[in-house]
Amino acid sequence: MATSNADVLQGTLDLLILKALSLEPMHGWGVAQRIQQISRAVLQVNQGSLYPALRRLEDRGWIAAKWGTSENNRRARYYRLTSTGRAQLQQETESWERFMLAVQRVLRAQPV
Amino acid sequence: MSLRTRIATRWRALVARAREEQELDEELHFHLEMEMAARLRAGMTPAAARRTALRDFGGLERYKEECRDARGVSLLDAGVADLRGAWRSLRNSPAFTSVVVLTLALGIGATTAIFTVVNAVLLRPLPYAEAGRLVMLWENDRNSGTTREPASVPDYFDFRTRTHVFSHLAALQPRPLSFTPSAPGADAVQLNGAAVTHGFLATLGVSPRLGRSFRPDEDVPGAPAVALISERLWHSRFTSAPDIIGRSIVLGDSTRTVIGVLPDGIELPGMPPGFASLQRDVDVWVPLAATPVSSPRENHTIVVVGRLRDGVSPAAAQRELAALAATLEVEHPRENRARGVFVEPLPASLVRGIRPALAVLLAASALVLLIACANAANLLLARAVTRRREVAVRLALGAGMRRLAQQLFAEGLLLSMAAATLGVGIAALGLRALLALAPASIPRLAHVAIDPRVLGMALGIAVLVSMTFGLLPLVMARRLDVQDALRSAGGRGGSAAPAQQRFRNALVVAEVALSVVLVIGAGLLIRSVWSLRGVDPGFQAAGLLRLQYQLPASRYPQSMATFPHWPRLSAFHQELIRRVEAMPGVESASVSANDPLEAGFTNSFLIVGREAEAEHQAEIYIRSVSPSYFRTAGVALRRGRLLSDQDDASAPAVLLINEAGARKYFPHGDAVGQQLRFWGQARRIVGVVADEKFEGPGAETPPAVYPPLWQVPLPAVSLLVRTRSDPMGVLPQVRAVTRDLDPQVALYGVTTMDDALSQSIGKQRFTMRLLGAFAMLALLLAMIGVHGTLSYAVTQRSREMGIRMALGAQRSAVHFMILRQGMLLSLLGIAAGVVGALAATRLLRSLLYGLTATDFVTYVAVSTIIAVVSALASVLPARRATGIDPAVTLRAE
Repeated sequence: MATSNADVLQGTLDLLILKALSLEPMHGWGVAQRIQQISRAVLQVNQGSLYPALRRLEDRGWIAAKWGTSENNRRARYYRLTSTGRAQLQQETESWERFMLAVQRVLRAQPV
Repeated sequence: MSLRTRIATRWRALVARAREEQELDEELHFHLEMEMAARLRAGMTPAAARRTALRDFGGLERYKEECRDARGVSLLDAGVADLRGAWRSLRNSPAFTSVVVLTLALGIGATTAIFTVVNAVLLRPLPYAEAGRLVMLWENDRNSGTTREPASVPDYFDFRTRTHVFSHLAALQPRPLSFTPSAPGADAVQLNGAAVTHGFLATLGVSPRLGRSFRPDEDVPGAPAVALISERLWHSRFTSAPDIIGRSIVLGDSTRTVIGVLPDGIELPGMPPGFASLQRDVDVWVPLAATPVSSPRENHTIVVVGRLRDGVSPAAAQRELAALAATLEVEHPRENRARGVFVEPLPASLVRGIRPALAVLLAASALVLLIACANAANLLLARAVTRRREVAVRLALGAGMRRLAQQLFAEGLLLSMAAATLGVGIAALGLRALLALAPASIPRLAHVAIDPRVLGMALGIAVLVSMTFGLLPLVMARRLDVQDALRSAGGRGGSAAPAQQRFRNALVVAEVALSVVLVIGAGLLIRSVWSLRGVDPGFQAAGLLRLQYQLPASRYPQSMATFPHWPRLSAFHQELIRRVEAMPGVESASVSANDPLEAGFTNSFLIVGREAEAEHQAEIYIRSVSPSYFRTAGVALRRGRLLSDQDDASAPAVLLINEAGARKYFPHGDAVGQQLRFWGQARRIVGVVADEKFEGPGAETPPAVYPPLWQVPLPAVSLLVRTRSDPMGVLPQVRAVTRDLDPQVALYGVTTMDDALSQSIGKQRFTMRLLGAFAMLALLLAMIGVHGTLSYAVTQRSREMGIRMALGAQRSAVHFMILRQGMLLSLLGIAAGVVGALAATRLLRSLLYGLTATDFVTYVAVSTIIAVVSALASVLPARRATGIDPAVTLRAE
């Protein structure tokens, strides 16, 4: 299934979710917290778009979900990165870095 | 994702949808809980934590929706969900649902049934190749003003040889033939036969199913006797035997060899009186074997059908034939004086006569459908208004506008699909009733079935209606101010916006108006049929039986050389009358060329001493009768004497004239004693008899003369039997007597004259009954509309009325208020309907008798009836309004 690059924001959220899950399996709320925490609260995950994104990634087979028990003893849905997900994260990270580099170059350009 | 996983995902999504839904719900709630817990830890109060968590999260429902969308199964899923939602919502209001479905189904059913008939009669093409090139060649007579008369054989040969516009030309005439089955002891049966020129099938473009068509050398006098039979006859009488070709069968007085089997469905619509048997269901065809001199030019005995050459228009053919007719007038001044030719495209003659009635019924059924749609729209609109709160809540909860529209659309679709299904069922029943009621004069009804085209139309209507329904509430929902709706909605107290109320009132007014149009139309027809039934037909129909028979020339010589001395023929007629009159229960019997309702044939004539007038005289009907005819049929003598048995072939030639003829040609009352000349003989008028309505009860009786059958003998006749009780009771005896006289003579055309009289106004009665049914239906629907609108208004205004009554308003005042609203709508509708009817009933004009389309009595009566009925429809809601308990209504707010 081809991924559209047009939706940068959506692509970014996917990347962030994959990265967060690459650290350890966790539930949806945990993913949001983790991203917020690592980015030092710069990146606020729109909580409403989180779950559609999780469903989408699950559909693509990059993450897998199963029900487990949370820290406060509640039933929660835990997500983990699959092997295809890991490869995807690798690939997406590279393309994101290339993209960032390109943007930086443009921004730092001096008048000739 | 591989195809397998994709399918698996979808499968999972579909099968485990409920579980998935629940999981999603649980997951989102878990998230909210964690969020609240975090906020509590941060020091918020529980209430604030909950509120802010919910606010920051956004609309729960919408995210669930988006999650489902992300699954990629939404479209199908949503469709199913919409339909299920719609089903639930419709099931929750069974009264509303059943009324809407029934209303629409009745409209769709009525329209489909009528459209099926119209499709069969008007739209289904004739079964001929390039039927558009086929034309009928009628002769006409400027003196009589007739437009479609049969042609003469010599004229036909002139048309053939002296025109260039036809690729084929053929002539035919009815040739009823008795058929004696080979099985011993089997009764002879009368077959509907036709004598045709050899090019008949080539002209129509029809090929035999088996065998071959006639060869030119078989279509000459003295050629070997051959015949073509219909597929129907082949199946019913010859067990579909493949070796039928070449078999000899006894037809009439000769043995003929079957050379081919023709497909069923050959029809020639629009035949003139006397030729009607050619229209359809002909079972046997024989060669006409005509020559330019085989029949005199003044005898109009054949109908002519032609196939235009490619590229020749009917108008061009008309011009060429008109020129030829003018030449023939000069060449044959005696026979062809005032004669012209009328070229009529065959497809146009198909529906002449019945088209006005079908057009009226189609328009009526369309009106019923329109009323039904208005009613359904009205009910849906009312429902949409009461559902404002539901819609508002769902919008507030974040349901997408599109999904909402989809669900409303799904409801409309479900409703109209149910209505279409039920409607097709109603159409099938209605069609059966229609066919049972339809008079025989409506052509091509034999094979009517609801065909895919008609079904498609019903579904089309259903889809159209559902789209409208989908849109109406959507328009309202778009205009809806959520806050407003929620605030005002303490219950269902908020009243409808004035614009909506006005629209709904307009719908009801339109419904009433349309039903007024229909009821007035039905009223006019009912009054017409009443007047038609009241017309004195000029004879006594009750107790009168009619049968027909024909005597073959082989055993009953009928040579023109000895005319009118045909002793064996006359002896048969006389002996039959004598024996039938001797039966118990029989008062009298007669034999005549025509029964009292049959027009029969016309001939030109001279009044002796006034020969110069003949040039501008129309032809006169010649109704040859046995002297007992007047006693048997009950035709009154006005002046002079009746015929007697002494007026035989050797006595001086005499005749009677009817009052119409006496009035027209002898206005000074001196008809008796005058002489008329036709067929080479002067005949003295000895009496004047009453007018028989032989062109139908609605038509003026044309001039006619009655010579004694013994002086103008005929082989094909009607036997009339006047009985003391049940006419059909004597039938077995009459059959036995006839068989006794000649076992090969077949009796056919058996009917009581009472039935024949009803049949003669069959078209009007059929139209009247159907239009009556439509009018009742329309009235019922309109009243449901009035009742529904008022009931709804009462519900909407129950609070207002509660307050009014709490403040001391009399119950009667509230009662009157609702009644007044109902009557106002009805009276507006009646006024609009009367105006509409004045315009629309012009369609009916050709079906009316004895009154005009603007008949004052009908208009007043219908307006009164509808006013009364709508008052009744308003009473129930008004009574409900007065039953409102102020305390209860106000507490409910």
